[in-house]
Parts: sequence; structure tokens; C-alpha cells
Amino acid sequence: MKKEDIVKLISAEGMEFVIDKEAAMVSQTIRNMLTSPGGFAEAEHGEVTFPEISAVILEKICQYFYWSLQYSRGKETEFHIEPELTLELMMAANYLHT
Amino acid sequence: MENKTIGLDKGWDYMQKGITKLKRILEGLPEPPFTSEEYMMLYTTIYNMCTQKPPHDYSQQLYDKYREAFEEYITSTVLPSLREKHDEFMLRELVKRWANHKVMVRWLSRFFHYLDRYFIARRSLPTLNEVGLTCFRDLVYQEVHAKVKDAVITLIDKEREGEQIDRALLKNVLDIFVEIGMGQMDRYEDDFEADMLQDTGAYYSRKASSWIEEDSCPDYMLKSEECLKKERDRVSHYLHSSSETKLSEKVQNELLVAYANRLLEKEHSGCRPLLRNDKEQKPGRMIGTAKVDNGLYVWNKDSTEGGLALSTSKEDMIMLWYRRWRIFLGCTGFIVKYLEAWILLLTYSSSILLLRVLPWFNRQKMLLVTRSILLLSSLYSKIIAGC
Repeated sequence: MKKEDIVKLISAEGMEFVIDKEAAMVSQTIRNMLTSPGGFAEAEHGEVTFPEISAVILEKICQYFYWSLQYSRGKETEFHIEPELTLELMMAANYLHT
Repeated sequence: MENKTIGLDKGWDYMQKGITKLKRILEGLPEPPFTSEEYMMLYTTIYNMCTQKPPHDYSQQLYDKYREAFEEYITSTVLPSLREKHDEFMLRELVKRWANHKVMVRWLSRFFHYLDRYFIARRSLPTLNEVGLTCFRDLVYQEVHAKVKDAVITLIDKEREGEQIDRALLKNVLDIFVEIGMGQMDRYEDDFEADMLQDTGAYYSRKASSWIEEDSCPDYMLKSEECLKKERDRVSHYLHSSSETKLSEKVQNELLVAYANRLLEKEHSGCRPLLRNDKEQKPGRMIGTAKVDNGLYVWNKDSTEGGLALSTSKEDMIMLWYRRWRIFLGCTGFIVKYLEAWILLLTYSSSILLLRVLPWFNRQKMLLVTRSILLLSSLYSKIIAGC
């Protein structure tokens, strides 16, 4: 995969999630950041740190991104959310504008 | 998630550092660009400050401070740099500052984006984008637009005299006028176009008054056509497209309509050579539109194969120009009424029709037919008038 097509999302604990840029763009916040002009230092291109989002939530969010892409392409499946994650997931979604 | 609350001062302190860094980048100072981490931290700070429980919900204060940040930057840096420059240098500086400003708006509105989503939406306030542009408009544009307009018009006049000017610069400046209207063209029209049109009118009026003395009719017409063409060219290169019709009309007005009478007087002097010498190089030019009192004008401006120009500016003359053959078909010396003009029109169009249909109906015959009909109708009208 080319370097430009992926982004790395880093959770509070330092766990890194590598996903496609297309998936990450589902979040408006991430999209804004990545499309800002006069951008970022080359070395840190494509890396976003979320010091407030834990790894578990971030993982679920990444799954959501992919599910969302699939859903918009017509494959209508269900997205299961564990109840205990709901609150934190919603806050993270608000933060990320997803 | 964040448990402790951030105080307004502390939070704003952090934002201020980010804003200062942005300013340094815009000024071209050596400054490493924003890392994604810094971006997220700035965004997060705003997010936190807005999602805290009241009374720690600082959305309103942040909204105000956002605006203040722009105002402070503009008054301390942008305005002084513009005030100390003049003419073309000022235009360049303005273009640069506008570009910078747009970048600043984009970055800051990204940082403060959370405000846009909820606070602003809930209270239907102007968006961050609008606030940024309004600051520029109220502080910078208000002050300089008159000077800018004068500088632009001066450059346009220079170009009319043949000097080379920086067209890209003018295009950028005029784009500012358009963009600052924020969707409306009123700034462009009121603050620039109106004066530009007036200046254009004055310019061509001066030129026309000297040309009309020196040049023969065909020369004058040629020059007018060229001026029109150049003005259209100007529109395509840097003026806004909406100016095209108004500009063309103005130019035509000053060059042609105002002098239509004199031109037609000149026709008389210009037409003799044309009559004698059919191989005249300069075509008999057709005026596009002319509204002059006392007459029926029928012009066929752009037709290349044939056109009828029927002018009755002097009370007792009709002149017919047939463009393609470059001849002057007839001139009568009687008082013209609309009826005669229509008869002539009919004559003309029927002869054109005959031309198409009957190949042997050539030039001489057409001349003959038209002139005879003219004569007949003049006799007829004299009879009618006489009764």
C-alpha cells in the first residue's frame, strides 16, 4: 500500500491503529485535519494522536469507519455495540464529529 | 475522558500560543509547521472548554476571543503594513494580506470547529468563516477600498495608453472585491465598477472628441471597433464577466452614439470615394446600435454577407449602405417619414431575396432596381405631401 493512503490513529495508551485514509475521512475532525493546507511535517504525515480516547474505543471506532463505508456502498449489515462502551463511544463520536 | 475542568485563562493561554505560531508562519518567519499532535491538542482544548458543565462552558467567550484574535492581528500588523504603501505596491500587499487572511481563517476555524457545530448552530450566529471575513471587511476593506479602486483605475488607463501592466495582479485585486461581497456582487459593483465605468466613459469621450476631428469615417469606425475589442479582452483577462455588457455599452455610447450624427455627416464625405471605388479596402462599417432622434435606424452589425444601414439623421436624407459590396446605394433629398423607410427596407429585402433566387440578378441590376424604387417612392411621397 502506498504511504499516502493510510493513516495511523494512536490511542491514549499508545496503541496504534493503521487504517485507510478513506475510512478515517468518515470523521469530519480527522478529515479537516488531513486536508488542512500548509500541512504537517513530512515525518508525522498521517499520524493522529488521541490522548483522550482509549484503545478499546478507538478500535470500535475504526470498525465503525469500515462498517460505514460498507453501508454506504449498499451492504446493509448491523453494527453491534456493546452496551458498556456506549457512553464513551458516543462521546468519542461527538469529538470526532462522526 | 477529561475529568478536570480547564479554566478559561489557562485554556486560552494555550490557544494563544497556537495562534501566535500561526501568525509567525503567515509572516514567513522560520517556524516549523503544525504537527498533527499540535492540531489535535488545539482542537481538543476548544472541545473541552465547550463541553464542560456550566459555568465552565466557555463557548461564548471563545467565540468572542476568536473574533478578537483577528481584530488584534489586523490592527497590529495588517493595517500598518498597508498604510505605508501606495499604488501598485499597496495592491500587491493587499493581495498578499488577503491570501494570508484566508489561510488564517481556515486554520482558526478548524481549531474552533467545535463551536460551529453546536454553539453557533444553536444560536444562529454568523459562522466562524463569516466572522473572519467580516473582520477583514470591516477593518481593512472599509479603509482601503477607495484607494485601491483609484489605483486599479489608474493602471487600467495606463494599459489603454499602451503600457504593460500586471494583469494577474489586477485580477487578484478584483477577486477580492468579489469575494468580500460574500455572495453578493454589491461591493464589486458599488465600490469599483461604477467608478470604473465613469472613468471609462470620460476616457473615451476625450479620445472621441479628438478622433472625430482628425479621422475619416471609416478610420474612426475602425478605431472604435478596436477599442471595443480591447475592452472585451480586458474583461476576459481581469475584469469580472458581469462587467462586459455594461462596459461595451458605455464604450459604444461614448464613441458611437454620441457622435452618430457627426459620423453620418462625415458619411457624406466618406461615401464619395466609396461610391466611385468599389474596390475600397476598408469596408463600410456598420454601427451596432444607435438611437438617435428623428430617425429609423436599422443596423445589421455582424452580418458578413449583407447588411442594411438606413440612417435618417438629417431631415432630408436617406443613406443606404450595403456592406458586402461596399457601395452606397442611394441618397435622396426629401423628407423622410417612417413609411418611406419601411418601403426601403422592403425593397432591400426583396432584392436580397431575388439575389438568392435568381442568379442572373446581379449587382448592377440590384442597384438599378433599388434606385428606381427610391426615386418612385420619393416622387410618391412628394405627391402625397403635396396634396
